[in-house]
Amino acid sequence: MIKGKLKLPPLNNRIRKVFPDRLGSLVSGFEGIIKGVRIRGSVWEVEMGEELEPIPPNAVGFGRERDADDVYIEEDVVDTRVRIGPNKDAAAATPVLVLKSIVEEEKRSDFEYELSQREINLEKLQRIASTGIPDGGSLRATTWKLLLGYLPSSHELWEKELKASRQKYANLKEELLQNPSAYTWKKDIESSSALQQEDSDADGRLTRQEISQEDHPLSLGKANLWQKYFQLTEMVEQIDRDLLRTHPDIPFFSGESSFSRKNREAMKNILLLFAKLNPAIRYVQGMNEILATIYYVFSTDTDKENAANAEADSFFCFVRILSDSVDHFCQQLDNSSGGILSTLSRLSDLLKVHDRELWHHLEFTTKVKPQYYGFRWITLLLTQEFDFQSIFRIWDTLLSNPFGVQDMLLRICCAMLLCVKAKLLSGDFVANLKLLQHYPEDINIEYLLQVAQDISPDTSFYCLSL
Amino acid sequence: MVLVLALGDLHIPHRAHDLPAKFKSMLVPGKIQHIICTGNLCIKEVHDYLKTLCPDLHITRGEYDEETKYPETKTLTIGQFKLGLCHGHQVIPWGDLDSLAMLQRQLDVDILITGHTHQFTAYKHEGGVVINPGSATGAYSSITYEVNPSFVLMDIDGLRVVVYVYELIDGEVKVDKIDFKKTSSTHPAH
Repeated sequence: MIKGKLKLPPLNNRIRKVFPDRLGSLVSGFEGIIKGVRIRGSVWEVEMGEELEPIPPNAVGFGRERDADDVYIEEDVVDTRVRIGPNKDAAAATPVLVLKSIVEEEKRSDFEYELSQREINLEKLQRIASTGIPDGGSLRATTWKLLLGYLPSSHELWEKELKASRQKYANLKEELLQNPSAYTWKKDIESSSALQQEDSDADGRLTRQEISQEDHPLSLGKANLWQKYFQLTEMVEQIDRDLLRTHPDIPFFSGESSFSRKNREAMKNILLLFAKLNPAIRYVQGMNEILATIYYVFSTDTDKENAANAEADSFFCFVRILSDSVDHFCQQLDNSSGGILSTLSRLSDLLKVHDRELWHHLEFTTKVKPQYYGFRWITLLLTQEFDFQSIFRIWDTLLSNPFGVQDMLLRICCAMLLCVKAKLLSGDFVANLKLLQHYPEDINIEYLLQVAQDISPDTSFYCLSL
Repeated sequence: MVLVLALGDLHIPHRAHDLPAKFKSMLVPGKIQHIICTGNLCIKEVHDYLKTLCPDLHITRGEYDEETKYPETKTLTIGQFKLGLCHGHQVIPWGDLDSLAMLQRQLDVDILITGHTHQFTAYKHEGGVVINPGSATGAYSSITYEVNPSFVLMDIDGLRVVVYVYELIDGEVKVDKIDFKKTSSTHPAH
């Protein structure tokens, strides 16, 4: 934070309207505030270097038009500016942290205002969500639920909807996830409760009840409850293994504490239920990553009741998120119009339209086909390419796209390629593949999303998917 | 939900050559978590076969077993139940309920599984259960030639156990079920 006292005058309306997509445009509005801070003079030059965010050199070399207000410039350029004269740009670059906190506060209050409306304006919510939802509180969880359509836009219906959905989940769980012995026991209790009482006291020969050929664990019949249970054991084992490998560095998921066990158990229930309800797709490795993101956000909701019901809410939102990309997981549908190969070729086409040179270089010169890197990007919704916190920011943009998740996903993938264009153009097959499969961690996420948003949406496919 | 297979007195190769085909077709790997064998297998090949069904195998020594290293008695805990295992030729009179109850108290178990008589029995006695899975191959015993092949599968779930009895009668597999619930109070210590 800024050293020394800083008394901020009240924000004027002009600033409020400029909703900050890029820090530069915001900065121009803060001219009035900055003036009060300029008294420090020479001390600024020293502090300036410390407070700037690191800018990847790629961003500069991209060849886009930069106006004077833009903060995305290299550090030495900023320094010379400072020495030239303390105009608004120089001073603007300085209290970046102050600006950030102001922006955060403003955003938070904007969100809270929007979410407290009786009738939520979804379009407006989509617009502001695409610029990032503030961490902390229940803003992100609630916004995601609204964006996915889990919560209705009318505020007063929320409680009823949530209760109904959560009850539905509990019923589904009881119906589908019960193990056979618990089921048979329940049936026995219902049918012959009186008999049990007598036998339990007397010693002597235990009574035998004859049962049909289908009712025992070793039965080979197909329709048998036990057979169905055993058929799933392989899948259950795979789910368990994958869950253990999900985010091993985050204590929420990994480790032997009862907390992480509980979380893994909840996620296992969700994945099993999904697999049972969708026998055509069942469980595919990777679904755990998508679920982990959703479940984490919902569980860390500060609203106690929401956090307690995170499992049920995550299940429904998980189903909604997967609903338009579920074809990607089915191997038989690979070559169909909704399958993964078709989506990858759309990515290729998108790149071709926006940057023919890079497209040509990738497709023909280095022969790096989108299948080699894009498969994981698209099926897992980028959860494996960036660190956990960045994923939340990226998903804010993904979920808030009015043209759908898939469209924004392709645009972000295209943006990812464009952002490392310089490296790709100078690399061969091996280098490019290596770069794309281990996407650089130092990329500026805001910048990446800005590039993605500047790519125009592919509305033709949107109409098809309706 | 733990599935425990209890069987014994196969007497392969001396008195029988193999398990009945219908039993063998039912016993597939992957379903059963533990196998308890009362003894008298008698050879190593049978031991290996049982190992393929389930890696967790517990055996006690019967008088005809060729492997001398099996223990006389064994106890194990599965879920909330303590199980005791013994071949039964050591308990005289053979198959006598009171003598077996003595052994049960000695081992301090809830369920005692013994064999040797080649007859399936299941008794409730003084808060515990004594189960004899019979002979899985139907081999003749010292007492009688009339032996039906039988074995037992226990489904242990929390405080209750469901015992499935598989018997081969006239070439057909008959399955019976016995429910047993453990009372939470333990009987007085000796």
